[in-house]
Amino acid sequence: MSGMLDRIRDVRVGALATWALLVIAVVLNAILQPTFFSLYSITSNFATFVPLVLVAIAQAIVVVGGGLDLSLGAIVALSSVVAVTVMGGEDGRVGLGFAVAIAVGAVCGLVNGLVVAVVRLQPLIVTFATASIFSGSALVVMPKPGGTVPPVMTGIYRTAVAGVPVSVLAVLVAVCLWLVLRQTRLMRHVYAVGGDPGAAYASLVPVTRTRTLTYVIAGAFSGLAAMALLANSGSGDPFVGADIALNSIAAVVVGGVALRGGRGGAVGAVVGAIVLAMAANIVFFFDVPTTYRQLVNGLVIIGALALSVLSSARRAAR
Amino acid sequence: MSGVTKHYGGVRALDGASLSLEAGEVHGLLGPNGSGKSTLNKVLAGTVAADRAEITLDGRPLAIHSPRDAHRHGIAAVYQQLSLIPDLTVAQNLTLGVEPARAGFLRARVSAPDVAETLRQFAPALGDRVTASTPVADLPPGEQQIVEIAKAVMRRPRILILDEATASLHRDQVSLVFDVVRRLCAAGVSVAFVSHRIDEVMQLCTRATILRSGRTVASTELAGTSEQELVSLMIGQTRAPEAAAAPRAEKGEPRLTVTGLSGQNLNNVSLRAHRGEVLGLGGLQGQGQSELLLTIFGALRAREGSITTSSGRGARIRHPRDAARIGIALVPGDRATQGMFAQRSIQENISIVSLARRLMAGVAISARRERAAAASMIDRLSIKIGRLTDPVSSLSGGNQQKVIIAKWLLNEPGIVLLDDPTKGVDVGAKAEIYALIRKLTRNGAAVIFNSSDDRELAEIADRVLVMYEGSVKGELDAEDVTYDNLVSSALLIGMGDQHRVGGDESGTA
Repeated sequence: MSGMLDRIRDVRVGALATWALLVIAVVLNAILQPTFFSLYSITSNFATFVPLVLVAIAQAIVVVGGGLDLSLGAIVALSSVVAVTVMGGEDGRVGLGFAVAIAVGAVCGLVNGLVVAVVRLQPLIVTFATASIFSGSALVVMPKPGGTVPPVMTGIYRTAVAGVPVSVLAVLVAVCLWLVLRQTRLMRHVYAVGGDPGAAYASLVPVTRTRTLTYVIAGAFSGLAAMALLANSGSGDPFVGADIALNSIAAVVVGGVALRGGRGGAVGAVVGAIVLAMAANIVFFFDVPTTYRQLVNGLVIIGALALSVLSSARRAAR
Repeated sequence: MSGVTKHYGGVRALDGASLSLEAGEVHGLLGPNGSGKSTLNKVLAGTVAADRAEITLDGRPLAIHSPRDAHRHGIAAVYQQLSLIPDLTVAQNLTLGVEPARAGFLRARVSAPDVAETLRQFAPALGDRVTASTPVADLPPGEQQIVEIAKAVMRRPRILILDEATASLHRDQVSLVFDVVRRLCAAGVSVAFVSHRIDEVMQLCTRATILRSGRTVASTELAGTSEQELVSLMIGQTRAPEAAAAPRAEKGEPRLTVTGLSGQNLNNVSLRAHRGEVLGLGGLQGQGQSELLLTIFGALRAREGSITTSSGRGARIRHPRDAARIGIALVPGDRATQGMFAQRSIQENISIVSLARRLMAGVAISARRERAAAASMIDRLSIKIGRLTDPVSSLSGGNQQKVIIAKWLLNEPGIVLLDDPTKGVDVGAKAEIYALIRKLTRNGAAVIFNSSDDRELAEIADRVLVMYEGSVKGELDAEDVTYDNLVSSALLIGMGDQHRVGGDESGTA
């Protein structure tokens, strides 16, 4: 029984399948939306992608380390309402807002990490529980949607620098952050711990610390996602991000990260996030109610898994 | 190290064992199955926390709580179970945990010369195309073992532990490893060397410590000691209580015939199990005994060979279902994961295998009949339970094992495969399981019994096949099935050519 489960967890979307899906999504989207490649449409599309892209990177780091974080959406909500409250709509406090959002995210991640790595409980259950705690705290900070985001944030978010939309830049910066992170000893250890915690421990890797830090980093990325969300929406909302955690897991799977850990990377997760977001666009242009979005996400995941199983089966046959 | 004690649950793995290593020596660590060699090494390497241990290095007492502590004191280990990460490259594995970094950023260029030098040292034992950037998962097991050894050597230890490090290596690879070990010793490194190949120990080591049931029984110079003397040290003077003249069943016609079976960890195994016979599988642990049983049962795929039974003539066994249909039952060694549904009731567990026989109109389960069948089995096996509806996990280990045996007996099997059924079971329950086995054979079943405990084999088996590296290398029959013969044959068979053991050489079973 557990062997079967392991085998399912071991199935991994191939890089080719991920990129193929991206191409399909772009082509479909371009056909349905003739203005797809216009600056305006790219800007507004990416403006909605950025939060999921950031959380997908966060999720990828946790999953590569052999964990799972269901609380990332709640962390986004909590960080965003705290940041909105702290900034109070003043342009001069945007920097403070970023610092606070990242700090809140990191602290939430630290809670997750300590319970998972030190107390050694199942990440699924731990983050399911902490998700409720974080969303509850968000409601305490801001009982109902409100607050104003500093106008400078919402303004810059929709402009372009040297012809490149800021929202696209944000995705590029996020990918660069990941690429830098990949060069650290910590990420090497994350891959080792996700690959085989016992072997990593015997090889002098500080397993507990590494595991904890994956959740902390994921929390910090979620804090950044909260700021992107604020810049896009213009006001605070404690109920935001309810589906972002599950979507990030979907993005990670589509992006070729093995849920068992140790394999894959955040670049794939970013592509996965964009594919899923574009799938939602496509659904919109087909005039299908947005309530079908979950269903489409599921189909995309199954499609990606099927593609990679097919291609790996062919490779094995050769 | 001295006074090292370690319990796993109720089992005492180490009971005041001691070991002393001198600078620049290769020290052999010998002992029969389950004598505690690996546990002792793991305590020194920090992967296992001892209940009690005194460790001194250069006369100063040490406390080792983790592999990092051990590393700090210059202790590195090569484990029987590899500590490599398959998805990382060779270089990444070699430097894992000790990567040079500045401000948290990896500096591969700093470690590159070290990696290159280490790989050059081990190059003859690695394939031609192996480079620093080859993923470890792409290497065959032997080369992975070499990388594992290289990794320990690269940490420049003062004390190097090699635990069965040569088990999966070819002759050339072994001699390269020996060269490296000798070079390290010349530089003052102490090496603790565990191997079940006594000839390797004789060849490489200057001294040896012999463990038996978790205790150090001797520490001896190897020059001037013969292999036979070592073996008798390992067996010890304590004799197994001779099988109390239990009337051994007459050999009947063959129930199960296996010819030329090869598969996972199995190489051309042939055997015949007769009606009313207990056929034991002996030898060192992990020489293919469990795989043999699982392959016969259809749980592992056979690459070659045939399995025929007197009841299901010509039936192909591709799946445990096929095996069950022609009357083969398996009691797995790892009962927690393979044998039972721990949270389900005793009744359900007992009846699950033979369910098909009691179905009403092929679908519904008759609760009354299920209860009756389970109750009669509980009675026959004298399993101590609260209620039939209690979960199996509420029972003691011995009684859990009896429930598993019970569930197969309801199917009235002609062939019973037992894979180390008494592991972690108390003495009383063991005796009852033995009685059960006797009852089975009296009713005409053929029993194949794998055990890591040679005393147990001596007590219960009518005939024992000694396995080594996936093949049957010897056979002990009737009065030759004694503890001493079993241990010495297991150890001596490992030494190169087939040493014929026992008196009766009536073919290969």
